[in-house]
Amino acid sequence: MDALAVSLLTGLADAASLFLVASGLTVIFGVTRVVNFAHGSLYLLGAYIGWSLLTRLPHSPLGFLLGALATIIALAVIGMALEMALLRRVYRVPELFQLLATFGVVLMVQDIAQYFWGAEDLTLPRPPWLRAFVLIGNQRFPRFDLVIIILFPLVFGVLWLLFRRTRWGRLVRAATEDREMVAALGVDQRRLFTSVFALGAGLAGLGGVLALPDASANLQMDLSSVTDAFVVVVVGGLGSLPGAALASLLIGLLQSFGIMLIPRATLALVFVVMAVVLILRPNGLLGRPISGSGGGTPALVRPAPMALRAAGGAALCAALLAPFYLGDYALAIATEMLIAMLFAASLHFMMGPGGMASFGHAAWFGIGAYASAFAAHLLAAPMPLGLALAPLAAGVLAVAFGAFVVRLSGVYLAMLTLAFAEIAWAIAFQWVDLTGGDNGILGVWPAPWAAGPRGFYWLALGVTVGGTLALRHLLATPFGYSLRGARDSRLRAEAIGIPAARIQLAAFTLAGAAAGLAGGLYAYAKGSVFPTYISLGHSVDALLMVLLGGVATMSGPILGALAYTGLYDLLLAATSLWRLVLGAAIIVLVLAFPEGIAGAILRLWTRLRPA
Amino acid sequence: MLEVAGLCSFYGRAQILRDIALDCAAGEVLVLLGRNGAGKSTTLKSLIGLVRPQAGSIRFAGAEIAGAEPHRIARLGLGYVPEERRIFTTLTVAENLDIGRQPPRPGIRPWTPARLYEVFPNLGAMPARIGGRMSGGEQQMLAIARTLMGNPRLILLDEPSEGLAPLIVEQMAGAIAALKREGVGVVLAEQNLYFALGLADRAVVIEKGAVVWQGSAAALAHDEATRQRFLAVGAAS
Repeated sequence: MDALAVSLLTGLADAASLFLVASGLTVIFGVTRVVNFAHGSLYLLGAYIGWSLLTRLPHSPLGFLLGALATIIALAVIGMALEMALLRRVYRVPELFQLLATFGVVLMVQDIAQYFWGAEDLTLPRPPWLRAFVLIGNQRFPRFDLVIIILFPLVFGVLWLLFRRTRWGRLVRAATEDREMVAALGVDQRRLFTSVFALGAGLAGLGGVLALPDASANLQMDLSSVTDAFVVVVVGGLGSLPGAALASLLIGLLQSFGIMLIPRATLALVFVVMAVVLILRPNGLLGRPISGSGGGTPALVRPAPMALRAAGGAALCAALLAPFYLGDYALAIATEMLIAMLFAASLHFMMGPGGMASFGHAAWFGIGAYASAFAAHLLAAPMPLGLALAPLAAGVLAVAFGAFVVRLSGVYLAMLTLAFAEIAWAIAFQWVDLTGGDNGILGVWPAPWAAGPRGFYWLALGVTVGGTLALRHLLATPFGYSLRGARDSRLRAEAIGIPAARIQLAAFTLAGAAAGLAGGLYAYAKGSVFPTYISLGHSVDALLMVLLGGVATMSGPILGALAYTGLYDLLLAATSLWRLVLGAAIIVLVLAFPEGIAGAILRLWTRLRPA
Repeated sequence: MLEVAGLCSFYGRAQILRDIALDCAAGEVLVLLGRNGAGKSTTLKSLIGLVRPQAGSIRFAGAEIAGAEPHRIARLGLGYVPEERRIFTTLTVAENLDIGRQPPRPGIRPWTPARLYEVFPNLGAMPARIGGRMSGGEQQMLAIARTLMGNPRLILLDEPSEGLAPLIVEQMAGAIAALKREGVGVVLAEQNLYFALGLADRAVVIEKGAVVWQGSAAALAHDEATRQRFLAVGAAS
């Protein structure tokens, strides 16, 4: 009974921590419609800045209070600066590019934090009042966590009053519904947005500083917290504050009781909850359908002009002959680039023409890789069979899962793909008997004829070029036209007899299978398979490659993969601050070329052409 | 008070407005007539700044406002009531009114919720009603009242009679006449010729984004040839 009470309290404390971060995120999203990946970075900065302040202030409750308040103010100022310097410039670009820009901020903040505070985890000294416990029966519960639990209804209440009882809150709620109309009534949206951002950042800062006594300030807390916060926000319904509170409670309690009941499924549990909620309620628990931020109509994918075909042909020739002028190391890098191209092209297929952005595309890549590894280990299958099983396994799972995905759209759809990827990752990580867990599966060797760097390079080249061209070809078929029709207007497409959901499911499956093929290749290229293949970071890599290259052109993902992997390798070798440079480069690219590299080249080309 | 010359607006590459010229004085009702898709709504949106005009001049209350941001234009005292009403559906009637509130403007008798509830008694009966739970007519009244909370010198009304019951249309006409008496200028985009000509001092007819006729409302009421040609409706009554 006491253990149950402690679990309940632990769950409530978790829920409170989740709510502090998620409430800021949902308020920001509600008004600005920006999917702010950098919210986790604000949380991280809250923890580090809080640490710096709290270690210098007296280690008393009053000192803690002052430090926490100062941290909130510091983060509010940082949030304002971030909004004014960056986000203000990207409100009009498509939401995925906003995401890309905020991801650039994530990368930069990681290096900035490491530069100022070092790579070590930072913990607070724990004076007696922080170590104190309360006794519940014979169970001990940290007294500080009680403070966090009390803060949950307190912060919720203050926010509720702020939104219900002040003119500022009414303006924010009105702007959440219809920004344009609010502007037409004489309200300066920019100041409103900046103030909302300051509030959200301050809440993230509070969350960060409150994480210190129980845990630490560390460089991983940004992505882990933003993922959790996104789950809460999506489960609760984007932009809904009561929804975020409800979802925080649900997830916090499920987590704490889940550990008691099924300890091995803890990592997947949260995402299972999100998947179930999204399948049953496509707009979250308390959400309402959101109108898109209107990114403009994507350009048509046209057949490549002669010049581009010639350039592509020349590049292909150069690629075919590469083993004769590149060393083994360079060939290995080139092989990885080729695999990245196929991976990016597969994501582009569902994202560009299909209009379905994914935050979890690495799932299919990883499933392909694990399928090949299982084939090699459990079936002792030869490489061609292993390679064939990769797209098959990914495709079969993509059909089953995609049936739920295609019922959603926009951010909700992307989050459901993330949920699936995280579940897949958790299985790979926690089902140690089958997957080897963190140690992965080693010894996935290619067939003798492809064992050398040259042989495998040619194999990768053939598979990538073949796969990419096949996807490109599909776009020019009636299937491809139907797919784009379903993207541009699902209702109209259905009205003329196109089964939009089935078409999208087919595209989702094909994209999954192609990513699986890339994963299978990668498994044989590396000789090993690890859970990191399915990680959020890897999904984000794919997203970055596609967005950098440009969504609207078929050559976009190819150029994006080249640019991203090239930039990554270059920076990694050149500077220890590679994240800072890469993040800045991404932000500059978003601001300067919102249509991606290929789009920018296309624009330059069409501008120069008539002259 | 409002003088527009050479106004051109585009959606993407498609030119919607060509050299629109019109003007409206304080206490005057100008009606913008034209078929569906003629460019009436785009004209109003260009005036309030929701569509950024590519060329032309819009002078309002002594300032050039072409290309300015919507909130700055609205703060100068130009009110806008959109065709779709765009009530904040999760806010109450009183809260909707509060969003439109602006400081008092010299020369305009300040609008308060109490005064607006006199003009629109239906709203006065339901200040706590959520916007999403109102009838179309009530929403239309709220949309106008919300804009009046900004104490506009001139108000742009986009098809206020659209889809409303005759009794409500009557009330709407009464409200517009009251605005005129207050000295507020009104630019009214309409398809309902009977409603429009009953209120308007002058009329401008738009066809394919260009002004094709202008003159007094009385003249248009007697000019059946013009009505037939550009508006494709029969006698006004």
